[in-house]
Parts: sequence; C-alpha cells; structure tokens
Amino acid sequence: MKRIRSHGNAIGVVLFAAVIAALGAVDVFRPFGLRFSDLTGRIVTMDTMIRIGILTIVVVGLNLLMGYAGQISLGQAGFYALGAYASGILTTLAARHGILPGIADTWWWAWLAMIAGMILTGGFAYLVGRPILRLKGNYLAMATLGLGFIINIVSGEFPGLTGGNDGLTEIPRLRIGGFALWPMQRYYFLVWGMAILVIVVAVNIVNSRVGRALRAIHTNETAAGTSGVDTERVKVQALVISAVLASLAGSLYAHFQSAVSPNPFGFTVSVQLVTMAAVGGLSSIWGAPFGVATLFVISDLLQSRMENVLHIQGGGYEMILYGILLVLIMIFLPAGVTTSGVEWVRRLRRRWARSSGVETV
Amino acid sequence: MPRFFQRRPVRIIGIALIVAVLLIASLALGSLKHYSPQNYIQLILDGLRAGSIYALMAMGFVVVYSVTGIINFAQGEFVMLGAMICLSVDAMNLPLSPALKMIAAIAAGVLLTTGIGILMERLTIYPARRSSAVTLIIITIGVTITLRAAALLIWGADPHVLPAFTTLALEDRIFRFGGVMIQAQSLWIWATLAVILILLYVFLQRTLIGKALRACAVNRRAAQLMGINPSRMSMLAFALAAALGAVGGIVLGPVTRPIYDMGVMLGLRGFVAAIIGGLVSVPGVVVGGLLLGVIENLAAGVTDPAFKSVVSFIILIAILLLRPQGILGGGEKSTEEL
Amino acid sequence: MIQKQINDQGGILGPDDIRHPVTIVIYDDKTSNDDTVSNVNRLISEDGVVAIVSGTSSGASVAEIPICTENLIPCISMASAASITHDSKTNTEFKWMFKTPQTNGHAGQWQADYLKAKGVTNICILYTNDGYGKDSLANYKAAAEADGLRDIFDSSYAATDTEFSAQLAGVQASGCKAVEIGSTPPVASLVTVAVRNAMPNLIITSGHGICNQSYITTAGQAAEGVVFPCGKITVIDQLADTDLQKPVLQKYITDYTAFTDGEAISTFGGHAWDGLTMIVQALGSLKDGMALADQRAAVRDYLETKIVNWPGISGVFNMSATDHNGLTKDSLLFVKVQGGKWVAFPQKDW
Repeated sequence: MKRIRSHGNAIGVVLFAAVIAALGAVDVFRPFGLRFSDLTGRIVTMDTMIRIGILTIVVVGLNLLMGYAGQISLGQAGFYALGAYASGILTTLAARHGILPGIADTWWWAWLAMIAGMILTGGFAYLVGRPILRLKGNYLAMATLGLGFIINIVSGEFPGLTGGNDGLTEIPRLRIGGFALWPMQRYYFLVWGMAILVIVVAVNIVNSRVGRALRAIHTNETAAGTSGVDTERVKVQALVISAVLASLAGSLYAHFQSAVSPNPFGFTVSVQLVTMAAVGGLSSIWGAPFGVATLFVISDLLQSRMENVLHIQGGGYEMILYGILLVLIMIFLPAGVTTSGVEWVRRLRRRWARSSGVETV
Repeated sequence: MPRFFQRRPVRIIGIALIVAVLLIASLALGSLKHYSPQNYIQLILDGLRAGSIYALMAMGFVVVYSVTGIINFAQGEFVMLGAMICLSVDAMNLPLSPALKMIAAIAAGVLLTTGIGILMERLTIYPARRSSAVTLIIITIGVTITLRAAALLIWGADPHVLPAFTTLALEDRIFRFGGVMIQAQSLWIWATLAVILILLYVFLQRTLIGKALRACAVNRRAAQLMGINPSRMSMLAFALAAALGAVGGIVLGPVTRPIYDMGVMLGLRGFVAAIIGGLVSVPGVVVGGLLLGVIENLAAGVTDPAFKSVVSFIILIAILLLRPQGILGGGEKSTEEL
Repeated sequence: MIQKQINDQGGILGPDDIRHPVTIVIYDDKTSNDDTVSNVNRLISEDGVVAIVSGTSSGASVAEIPICTENLIPCISMASAASITHDSKTNTEFKWMFKTPQTNGHAGQWQADYLKAKGVTNICILYTNDGYGKDSLANYKAAAEADGLRDIFDSSYAATDTEFSAQLAGVQASGCKAVEIGSTPPVASLVTVAVRNAMPNLIITSGHGICNQSYITTAGQAAEGVVFPCGKITVIDQLADTDLQKPVLQKYITDYTAFTDGEAISTFGGHAWDGLTMIVQALGSLKDGMALADQRAAVRDYLETKIVNWPGISGVFNMSATDHNGLTKDSLLFVKVQGGKWVAFPQKDW
C-alpha cells in the first residue's frame, strides 16, 4: 500500500516536472515562433509562471503548517519578507559599503546570502514559535497576524538598512560561476526546479514519522500528546520548515524582482497566501501549485480581459470575486478544490467499478 | 465561567500601577520633546476618543466570540458600512430638516448594517457552523475582503464627509480650554459609549432574550438543552455586533473622513482592545479600548508616531503570550478550550 | 488601489502618429509594486513596446528601475521622487529612467521662499510615511536650510492614518510658526483639518501633491488659506497669454473633457500625457525598418537631447544628460485656497 503510494508520487513528480520543463522549453526554443504565453492565449506569461513558482514554495510551507499541523498563520508574508530582505541587504549593502571585499562580489555570495536568510528566518521562527504555538485557533491567528504586521512596518523604517519605503534596488541576478541564471527563461527553470524539489521534500515529510505526528496533532492534539508525540516540538518544527521555505521563496523573489520594498509583503499578501493554500487544499502538497496558479490566472484574466471586454475596471471586482471564492471554498470544499476534485474522480471511478461488478476499496 | 459583567478590584489596582509606570516613562521621554502638561492632556483626551471607538468595536468582538467562538474579522467593515451608509443617506435629497435627515441617516446606517450582519451570519457562518476555528476565521476574512471591495466600487477610493452632529456641517464646534481642545463630536462619542453600555447592560441582564444570549455564552450545549436555539442566538450576536460597529462608525465619521478601507486598522485595534479585556467581559473590553487608545497615543506622542501601529501589535502579542485571558479579569475560558 | 487616472488617460492620445500607427498598451498597476513590475515585464517581453510610461507611485517607479535598465528600454515615470531618475551612489541620472512631474525640490523651494518672505524662521514638516513623503521631507528640509529656515520638528504618519494627535503634540510643543505638509490626498486633507483644529493660527503650506480637487472637497473649510505650488493646469484661466504652456493646456483640457465627458482634470493625467506625447514625438523621428533595440535606444536619445524648451502639461521641459526631468521651479505656480478654489498667489502678493 505504502509502496504503491510512493510509486504514484514518483510518477506524479516526473509527469509534473516534465510538463513544467516542456512549458519552459517552449520559451527557450520557440518552436514555430511560438512563445509560452501564446499557449495560454497571452493571459499567463513567463513572468506570471515564475511568480507562481515562487509562491508555490511559500504555500507548500503553509500547507505543512496549516493543513498538516493545523496551526494557522496569518503572518506568513512576514517570513517571506525576511528572506527577501536578507538577500537584498546582504547582496547590495555589503558590496556598496565595501564590506568583505573579494567575497561580497563573488557569484556564490548571493547563494550564501540566501542560505543565511533561511537560517536567520528559521532561527527567528524557532524563537517566536515556542511561545506563540502555545496559543490556539483564533489566538494563534491574531498573534501571527500581529507578527506579520510588525515585520512589515519595521521593514519600512531604518532606511539605512532596508531602504525605507522605497526599499532596495539593483539586487544582482543569480549566477553559477560565469553562468547567469537570467534572462527570465533561465530563472524559470531555477525557480521551478526549487519548487519541485520543495514539493518532493514536503511530500516525503508528510509520509514520514513527523508527518504522521503532525496529522495526529491536527486531529486531536491532546490525544497525540498522550500517545507520546512531543506536540510542541513537532509544531515548532512545522513552523520552522514553513518559515525556511518562505525565506527561500523571498530570496528567489528578491533576485527576480531585483528590488524589495515593504509593499509586496503586507497583510493582504498573508491573506492571499492563505487563500491560495485553501484553494489548493490545506492538506494537499500537490494542491499548492494549482491553488497559486488559480488565483494568478483569475487575477490576470480579470485584469487583461475584463477591461477590454466589459469596459469595467478590474480592481474592485477582482477583490469581490476573491472574497466570495474564499468563502465558498471554505464552506463547501474545505479540503480545497484539487483535493475535492481528486476525491470526486475517485468516487466516480468507484461507482463505475461497482457497476461493472469489480469491488475496489 | 465567563460572565459579561465582572468586578475585579484587585486587578483594577494592578492596571492602575501599570498605567502609572507607563505615565512616568512617557513623562521622561516627553520632556525630551519639551511637552507641556497641555500636550499630555490633549494626547490623553484624543486617546480616550479613539479608545471609545475601539471599545465599541471590542464589544462587537466579545458578543460574537462569547456566543459563537468566532473571531469576526468583518467587525471593522461594519464600522465602515455604518459610516458610509449614514453619509450616503445624509447626502440624499430628502424633504426633511437637516436634523431629521441626520437622524434618518443614522437609523438607516445602523439598521442596514445590522441587516448585513444578519445576512453574513446566515449566508456564511451558519452553513459552516461545524467547521474548525481556522476555517471560520478564513470565512470571515473572505467576507471582509468582499465587503471592502464592494465598498470600493460603491463609494470609490476617496474619503467622504459626514457632518458633525452638533453643527450638522463639515466644521465642528470646538471647545478650547487653555491650550487644550475638545471637539463637540468627542462629547457625542463619549455619550454614545455610555448610553450603549447602559443599554447593553439592560438588554443582557434584564431581558429574556439577553439572558438567553448570556446562557449561550456560558454553555452552548446546556443552553440548547434548556430550549434556547443556538443558531438564533448566533444570528442575534452577529446582528448586535454589526449594530455596535455601525454606531461606532457613525459617531466616529465626523472626526475622521470615512473611507472604504477604514475598517482594516480599526478592526485590528478593536480586537487588541478585546484581547486586553479578555474577550468575554463587556466592561473589561471597554476599559481595554480606552486603555489602548491612551497608551497608543501617548506612546506615539513621546516616541516616533511611525511606530504607532507597532505599539498596538506589540501589546497584542505580549498579552496573548503572557496573559491570554486578558489583563482585566476574564476568564477561565482560557485558550485551552478553543 | 485603483488608479483610475491610468485609465482616464488612455484613449485621449489614441493612435495618432503620422507615419506608423502607434498602439498604446495599458495595464492597471493598482499602485502595487508587484503588479507594476509584472506589467512592465509583460510590456517588454510580450507586447514588445518601444517605451514605457509607468509608475504612479514613487515606490513602484523605483521598483522598475532595474527592469528598465536591464532591458535597455526608456521608462517615463509619473511620480516625483528624486530617487527615480537620480542614482545617489554615482551621482548621475539613471540612463533609461525619465520622469515628467515637477519635483519635490521645486515644491520645497517655493514653500521655503514663501515662508521666508513671511518672516518665519522655525518650521515643522509633516509627511506621509511613503516614498513621496520621505522625498518631500528631504527636499523641503534642504530648501528650507538654503533659505535660512530651521526645521525644528518633523514627523510622519501612515497614508491610512486618521488620528494625528501624536504628531500635533510635537508640532505644538516645538513652537514652530508654520507647517509644511508633504502628502497626497486623502491623508493630506485629514492632516490639514487636524492642524487647523488644533492650531488655527499656524501657516500651512504644502507640496504639489495636493493639487487635486478632492483635497479641497475633503478638507472643506480647513483648506482655506493653505498655500502651495501647483501645476499650471489648475489655474489656467489665470495664466498670462504669453505663457508657452497655455495653448497646450487649453487643448489638453478640451480634449480631456470631451473624451471623459467632463470628468475633473487630474494632474496625474497631465504627467502621463507629457510622457506619452514625448514618446510619440520621438517615434515620429525614427527611420523606417529599425530593429526594436535600436528604436528603444533612439527614443531614449531623443528624450535626452531633443526635449528642449518643450511645453507640456507639467511645465516647460529641458531634458539633458544630467537632468532626466527637465523642469524648473517655474513649472509650478504658487496658489492659495480661497472660497473652495485655487487662486493664483504670485510673489508680489506675499
């Protein structure tokens, strides 16, 4: 049984990676003069795909935390910001002020900064995680929300370090030796390579002992505690992993955008992240890319189509749709669209199997 | 056992001590900025005004939370809706005298917002009533986003003007005493808070339906066994919360300029006030709201105002971590039960 | 969130080039940095545009610097912060960045000159905690010091704030005689009301961020007597007929009103109009059959060298390699709010 599942996962990973690689290859080789965006009727572009990849990494972390450990976070954009700022500050300021000459201008400095960001953010999550995860449900939601707000506000101050409200610009592109991971088509492969790696690791975590402990906590924390699960430790671990993933995504964002400022890391972003996780299915790692993509496509559709077709401004309608979608999903499909979809297919198949006389479970 | 009205003299003394320490600290910092006594009085008065609005919002949080166990993110949007509906009706060309028109506008603001609160409960909370806290929070966030975006479409991104009650004009009457100024609208706000507090007390303590609401807050299951319909009570709680929010928005309207996204920060601060008060006691959160308003204003005044909102979030996290049952009494309904 | 201005501007210009049809692609940036950069990327790689007019906020404009620089594409911003075109590290202009609004430096100069004429020595500065506000603070301060004034207290607030007693306590305690406000509406209106209520006798001056009818509507009576520099479009009927800009402005107002069915003129539309008109003019100078990259470079060079004595909506532009804005203090006129309207308030009346 278990082997079958991991087998299925392996096939899924290969298939998914192949599709992603094929999509990217379209833009690299341009068969018949086609570009990636032509495949999607020019609604989804390379730029959007990279953003989807980056946020997928954050949402996978959020899945582990919310879907598996059952701990809500309304401040995930804060961890995302920490990663982005760690990369931004370390790669621009060190070079500007001539700190660490010979190191700060090498190609591996940016990667080192990325890792440093992950360690810092993970450490920060560990420090705040212990006390904060004692809280539950509503209280935890509000505490993480407050945390996210504080990080967001503080990042707009101290202009010497963070660039204030304008933020930092001219963050260098990533390189490996002399090979620049840019233009965008190359970056696409890096981001999605990381995203798939993260998905694989997360799926493995979920199927491991830790994953079982996490699910036990989600179902019934007291019961999990009495049956020997160190609930506090496991919860903190989930938070730290989610923070490290958010930080990684933040660094990728910083090198993609080449600029960081407080604007893209506000409370709205935390809510959007939760929405994406919810659409994909809170406890479905594989749902993450689809949840993120769904919201991006809705937003791009509304932006590029609604104005031209209906002659109305997209902004307000987009948010209304967003809100209604969120409510509907939470009421009717709390497991998420993809999970519910899979469930539905499975049920259909079962019905079909039953009618044809073969019993499957 | 949570009670709406509790007296805890010991804890009040504790609060007084904390306030004293904070005051001394702010005096020290304020002297660096050459603050005169008038400056402090002004800061405190303005803080009390803002705090009264937080208190009204916090009451809304408490009512909903006690009865249903839900933190209603949309509480801030009720404030916005109350103010916006009121000013829209007031701007209509009705054959009424200005004063009557204002009264009609206020009534419309409160009633329509209450209706929206009821609709919200019926359409989104009721169908998901058996879901987990996380799900319910996300639902109220979804409602918040929808209401705010709808407000943006209806009222636009520009702030609007609600006339001051005293003059029924844009400009309010201002009283000045030796360098300290009080807007007449502040008096309206304080009076409203007092009246609401009394009305709420009478409603919860003296009327049958109020008692049913309290019973539901104490023990939902037991209340149900006694023939109280918890679904009706949940609806009532949301209606009450929406009405409280709308009143807050309407009395606040003339001193700020209502804008579609005003609910965000107000809602969060109302929640912090509710947390200070322990989330279950009405007088507790009123003191919490006033306290938050004053602390926030003083802290911002003596340090850098840029960190004003940081102050309330630090208070939020500190209280959640150190005393989740609130500083002011409150309850044995600790976090473990959620 | 919604920059309705963006949409307002679009059609007025339409395809009107003589030699080639020009297509103007419009996206809504929602004043979000992410959406701005995403749209700029889309414009460059998907729509293959020659030049971009983008960035209604300073933050979004700064965020697009790396993209424009890297893709060698001229970008014209509609925000006013110095950091959009000026690289403070090398003290030169960013090669590919231009901007059309009047700068905060000019606005600071006007206010400082006025206050100096009024005999004020100590001033306070209140500003929004964003790119525009912080740039205003830096420029107002510098201009004030150049005029021998002293900034004895400055304080900021968030664009969404509604309570200002903390900031006002500082103003009151510092004892300054005038407040300079570096904000855009709506918060600028709220601050004006708060200052007026607390200290009715203080002189209030402001930057050109409030040249918007909504400022006066929202602030009401409190706006009376506030003085600030403003683009000429707001007081066009009070301009001398010899003014270079007058015919341009008149045509713009007629076109705009006709196109939008009498919507109020916004200065934002003017900033975009300037940028787009410059680009359209630059395109007109291009030879046939140039590669896209060459076109982009040629447009950039045209903007830098050929925009001389060029009357636009925001002022008379004189671009150069050391000045990618090309406006002077005279692109702004000093005005006063009187009876709910802007009234020209020339130096001789101070």
